[in-house]
Amino acid sequence: MDSLTIPATGRTPGVSFDFVGGHLRMTGESYPDDVAGFFGPVFEALRGFLGRPDGGPVHFDMELLYFNSSSAKALMNIFQMLETVARSGRPVTVTWCVEENDDSMRELGEDFAEDLRHVVFRMREMPAGGAP
Amino acid sequence: MLAQQYASIKRDLDEKGIVFSFSGYLSEGILYSLGEALREKMALEAADGPTIRRVFSVFVEQMQNIIRYSAEKMSGTAGRAVELSAGMVTIGMERGKVFIVCGNTVRNSEVPRLKERLDHLKSLDRDGIKTYYREQLREEPDDGSRGATLGLIEIARRASDPIDYDFDAMDAERSFFCLKVRV
Repeated sequence: MDSLTIPATGRTPGVSFDFVGGHLRMTGESYPDDVAGFFGPVFEALRGFLGRPDGGPVHFDMELLYFNSSSAKALMNIFQMLETVARSGRPVTVTWCVEENDDSMRELGEDFAEDLRHVVFRMREMPAGGAP
Repeated sequence: MLAQQYASIKRDLDEKGIVFSFSGYLSEGILYSLGEALREKMALEAADGPTIRRVFSVFVEQMQNIIRYSAEKMSGTAGRAVELSAGMVTIGMERGKVFIVCGNTVRNSEVPRLKERLDHLKSLDRDGIKTYYREQLREEPDDGSRGATLGLIEIARRASDPIDYDFDAMDAERSFFCLKVRV
């Protein structure tokens, strides 16, 4: 699989995973009515990609403006997958994007980054004005 | 008579500062639509994005708690699998703060565990809530909770005052559970 593209809906995130370039991106908002149903195929595609031997660097841009607590668990799962491959030597960078003044999302970024040892974690501020 | 009766219900809601109210069978579809109306109203009142998202987050977690844990449910197939959960949600303004009160029926056997969780959350300060969130984020969900613990922590975290809760015994089997959160 070369890529995984899922367009954003009102309550599910936009997913654009470019497995050739190693660039993963999630945008929009996440509070699906069926979290397992939404994230199941995302995990599966990601697991396939991360399991390939001789993989190049991975960049993950977390650009969600909002996610609910069930999605937080799913995101943590993704972070743990990334940390596992980073531990085995693959370069992984996570960019956690936060709208300026969104202290809740900034703090969540710190919560997620807390036990990353091998993934390079960066916080990036974006101008406000996305969907509220 | 008809208008008088309903005007009296409306007056009661108005006096409590309630702007949105819904009582009856809730679904994810209602969560979505009511949530959109809530955000649009706050945007019209010129609230900023982070504030709207804080209120919205409490709203979503509260609604999903009812949808998942209400002891009063209807399910079946109506073309597709349908599950509806009875409860009520009210959103209002009180002394310049938004409040969200949700209520639903719970089984009495679940009351002690729920009380224990809520009391624990109430006993924590900001840093304590943050640490608890970080722990639960990395926990496997405990049996039957479908992630409820993290949802309650998220609610407590976005609240500006300690959360308020209460139970009203209905009969030997069930109680009415209410949770009030100010943001």
